[in-house]
Amino acid sequence: MEIQYQTEGDIFDIQRFSLNDGPGIRTIVFLKGCPLSCWWCSNPESQRRRPVVMYNEAECLHCRRCESACKQHAVTFTEDGVRHFSDDICIGSGDCAAVCPSQALVMKGSRITVENLINELKKERSMFRRSGGGVTLSGGDPLMQIDFAVELLKACKAQGWNTAIETECCAERENILRAVPYIDHIMVDIKHMDEEKHRIFTGVSNRLILDNIRAVAAFSPITIRVPVIPHVNNTEKEIGDIARFAAALPNVQCVNLLPYHSLGENKYKMLGREYKMNRLSAKSLDNEALEKYRSLVEQAGVPCRIGDES
Amino acid sequence: MDVLEKGFSQPTDRIKALRNAIYDATPTVEADRAELITASYKETEGMPIVIRRAKAVEKILNEIPIAIRDNDLIAGVLTVSVHGCQIYPEYSYDWVEKEFDTMATRMADPFAIPKDTAKRLHEVFQYWPGKTTSELATSYMSQPCLDAQANGIFTVGNYYFNGIGHVCVDYGKVLQKGFAGIIQEAEEAKANLTPLDPESIKKQQFYDAVIISYRAAIQYANRYADLCSQLAAKESNAARKAELTQIAANCRQVPEHPATTWWQACQSFWFVQLILQIESSGHSISPGRFDQYMYPFLAADTNISHDFAQELLDNIWIKFNDLNKTRDDVSDQAFAGYALFQNIQCGGQNEDGIDVTNPLSYMMIDAGAHVAMAAPSFSIRYWNKTPDEFLYRACELVRLGYGYPAMYNDEVIIPALENRGINLKDARNYCIIGCVEPQVPHKTDGWHDAAFFNIAKVLDVTLHNGRSGKTQLGPKTGEMKDFQNLGSLMVAYKKQMSYFVRLLAEADNCVDFAHMERCPLPFESAMVDDCIGRGKSVQEGGAIYNFTGPQAFGVADNGDSFAAIQKHVFENKEVTMAQLAEAMDHNFGYDDATGKIQQWFGTGGGQCCSSDANMDERQIYEAVKRILSANGNIDIDQLQRDLKTGTENCAAPASTGDTAQYQNIKRIMENTTWFGNDDDFVDQITREAGQIYAREVEKYKNPRGGQFQAGCYPVSANVLFGKDVAPLPDGRLAWTPLADGVSPRAGCDTNGPTAAAMSVAKLGHEIFSNGTLYNQKFSPSALAGDDGLKRFEAMCRAYFENKGMHVQFNVIDRATLLDAQQHPENHKDLVVRVAGYSAQFISLAKEVQDNIISRTEHTF
Repeated sequence: MEIQYQTEGDIFDIQRFSLNDGPGIRTIVFLKGCPLSCWWCSNPESQRRRPVVMYNEAECLHCRRCESACKQHAVTFTEDGVRHFSDDICIGSGDCAAVCPSQALVMKGSRITVENLINELKKERSMFRRSGGGVTLSGGDPLMQIDFAVELLKACKAQGWNTAIETECCAERENILRAVPYIDHIMVDIKHMDEEKHRIFTGVSNRLILDNIRAVAAFSPITIRVPVIPHVNNTEKEIGDIARFAAALPNVQCVNLLPYHSLGENKYKMLGREYKMNRLSAKSLDNEALEKYRSLVEQAGVPCRIGDES
Repeated sequence: MDVLEKGFSQPTDRIKALRNAIYDATPTVEADRAELITASYKETEGMPIVIRRAKAVEKILNEIPIAIRDNDLIAGVLTVSVHGCQIYPEYSYDWVEKEFDTMATRMADPFAIPKDTAKRLHEVFQYWPGKTTSELATSYMSQPCLDAQANGIFTVGNYYFNGIGHVCVDYGKVLQKGFAGIIQEAEEAKANLTPLDPESIKKQQFYDAVIISYRAAIQYANRYADLCSQLAAKESNAARKAELTQIAANCRQVPEHPATTWWQACQSFWFVQLILQIESSGHSISPGRFDQYMYPFLAADTNISHDFAQELLDNIWIKFNDLNKTRDDVSDQAFAGYALFQNIQCGGQNEDGIDVTNPLSYMMIDAGAHVAMAAPSFSIRYWNKTPDEFLYRACELVRLGYGYPAMYNDEVIIPALENRGINLKDARNYCIIGCVEPQVPHKTDGWHDAAFFNIAKVLDVTLHNGRSGKTQLGPKTGEMKDFQNLGSLMVAYKKQMSYFVRLLAEADNCVDFAHMERCPLPFESAMVDDCIGRGKSVQEGGAIYNFTGPQAFGVADNGDSFAAIQKHVFENKEVTMAQLAEAMDHNFGYDDATGKIQQWFGTGGGQCCSSDANMDERQIYEAVKRILSANGNIDIDQLQRDLKTGTENCAAPASTGDTAQYQNIKRIMENTTWFGNDDDFVDQITREAGQIYAREVEKYKNPRGGQFQAGCYPVSANVLFGKDVAPLPDGRLAWTPLADGVSPRAGCDTNGPTAAAMSVAKLGHEIFSNGTLYNQKFSPSALAGDDGLKRFEAMCRAYFENKGMHVQFNVIDRATLLDAQQHPENHKDLVVRVAGYSAQFISLAKEVQDNIISRTEHTF
């Protein structure tokens, strides 16, 4: 198996000691870029392929070095020292973050070769070996960077590591099938069975996604993850539809219900973007409802997990 | 389906009752030992010191009041009252007198001193001025040596004011031969003395002292036999009557003669453990490899039921908790938690390199679950061939959240000991003493707690050209503003370290001589090889292996400070050394409630940051944690930064000019990757910051013919000694706690527990052959179920595979700890690992409690 170690990709985080994204102790690599833009997304910095800069006002020294550094003039300060950022002008050069002396500006997104990334992942190799863990690719959607993802998966396999992926399956069928042979565990999201609602809340149709899931499930075991979102799919009918879809597939190991949380909200502010969930005044879910959904899924004949329970 | 998890049975009602008796007791000082030793010393003036010590032990053992606790199956108590303590005026006494009125209400480890007891002690203390080990030690010390101690560079307070302890004696010899066998050894050695050897004069005194001590110890056991017989005669409950009759019979057989049953083995063991702590106030009298020397007696006892054998073991576990000790107010903040550090181990290999985990090893794990109290300090030895089943079982016990067992790695400790000249067989048989210190059992006088050495303070002094505040304490090695690169700063740091370690060695050796001349211990010495062969006490160099082990803390503070300077001053040039120095001398613009910044540097802090902010932080943290435990991939770094800035930025808009600038400098310095995140640059520089200390220490020799060896663990001194350290370049504010042992600074290991463990493993633990200490804290959810156990086992093995030396765990949620601070009455059973030992959480000083709470909690 030939591996292109010099293939480059864009990632925005590496998270060690992850326990809920596949077996054993795992490291998650978060890849940039997502074909969806779900309202509730708790990693909005992941959605664009290019790097984005997050601004934490509490850390800002108001030294205005970012203003001078930005060649696009996306950053300006008013007379009384209030910082203004124009997201539409920014090209993600990172010049501003590079000169920021505190931690007020942080670049999310960096380009890295498979080789360098593998070297970083190797730091956890004794944990992988001892625990039967490995590497999970997440995002964004890792399949957006298919060449990079495939080479990275192959390189992980060459180290003898277990591999897993978290995907939307919103990509060309051919590309997905290139990656599948190197993945031990596939975790795929389903947000909604209704095409129109799916389009409203995620920005895309669900037709391609569902077709792809059927294709992958034909020959690979999968876990289906369902974010349970108030006002979006928080009804017995909507969860029931997903459960029935899952039950009809051959290789579904489990449906994992992920209750809504708003921890990502602050990130929208730091990105200078709107948190659309506020339009819905969504509240967190109660256990009673979640347990009801669990029994729906189980009645359909599929094992169900809620959150990170094992 | 969980199959690895075996669960734990409930302790018997007897064990529960014995435990409650200790929880319900008010620790109280008793005057009897102090009176008896004083009376004896008055009678023996002019005699050789070793004989005076033996006669003192004899008088104490003959006359000290004794008692049998309700429900107890094993005889032998230090005090008539439960959980009480005695006083040892031959080491030091003046602090007791000073605390007569305050010891009952002080912050750490309060003790009641009844009026009558205070009066009796006051009488006794009249005898002692000029006669103690501490006074002799002081008279040996030079002024610079005393100054360094007064300014918080180090303290040798442990042995300065108390006995040495820190030994694992030959319990096996007593079990097999009895005290009668030891008397016979001494008599034979005495008979073989030749007048041609001038040393034989002193040797004969030593042998006589041993014989006097052991005869008195046999008599002491017989006093318990008599008492039990009397109590049995009066006892109306038939079952208890039979027990008392058997305890009486046991005390007539052991410790004088070999043990013939498991019950007698337990009884014989206990008399050794107890009498050592009557002879001297030294703590960390450690049973060591209990499963090895005790198991043959369990295996041979074919009549005993498993449940009763377990109950006897549990009973010993309880009795470790009945022993108690008071220290001066300040020392008790460093040793918080009524701790005696009686470290007991199971598992590991024997001297031939064969795994010797046995059924008793598993019973000890059950005892830990049954008793669930602060003592003993319970450890397992780990090596590559540790059975999985045993490690899973140990992890299952850790998961209960009592803070034990701690785990020690043979694969690092054995070569570390060989590097100190210990042969392979002895090294393989090592045991753990006190907090974390390895030694060869019954062949070593390790002097393991020789000092707390504050290397963060050495950095503070280095950054002020040898000054601590206004006092010129060390050599002049350059003002901070004049350092042009990290290399020249490290040179200055090394010079200061060299200077202060020399003073440390002087202080330790002064104390060492004082113990040698004034407090030889014949009872202890006869159970340490080769004192009988050499005809001298442990304190005079009778042990085969002799060490002095002063331990450092503040390693991560220094590493992080060096890394921050390198990045922001020398590489990015965002701040100059002069600006940084000025900001530090203004406490980075933050308020200093103590006013010490003003006294030291003639500057004021800013006015920022009220303590109310902490409450908000807690509330936010709690909310975040709850959600995190439910689901989601959240940028944890970011969250922690948010929380931190929430508290520190509170007054920023109001602050003006310089104050704001100093606060900005703090924030710039904090934009650094810290030790604990598996980043090679900062990890290596942290390693160097610690190794510079260790390499200085190992240059020195002690008067017993042994070598100094460094350790790296703080007990809880990192909180106390932080109070002497000015602001540091890593943004740490003045007087706040320092990093604990080899652990990352609280809250700085943001890449999760595995990255933190890998950083810690990089420090080069072999040179710290006096022990290192790594605290990890987990929330129960990360360890739940069989998956959790498997992950936990995997983490332990991976950490050790990467040459970690020691690790211990707190598995408790933060909410529980906070509630225990608010409602101590509801949390008497809450035991936490403080740093080398477990302590009852509610007995800790508030600041130590806060420090435990703020240690990074790894929840996912």
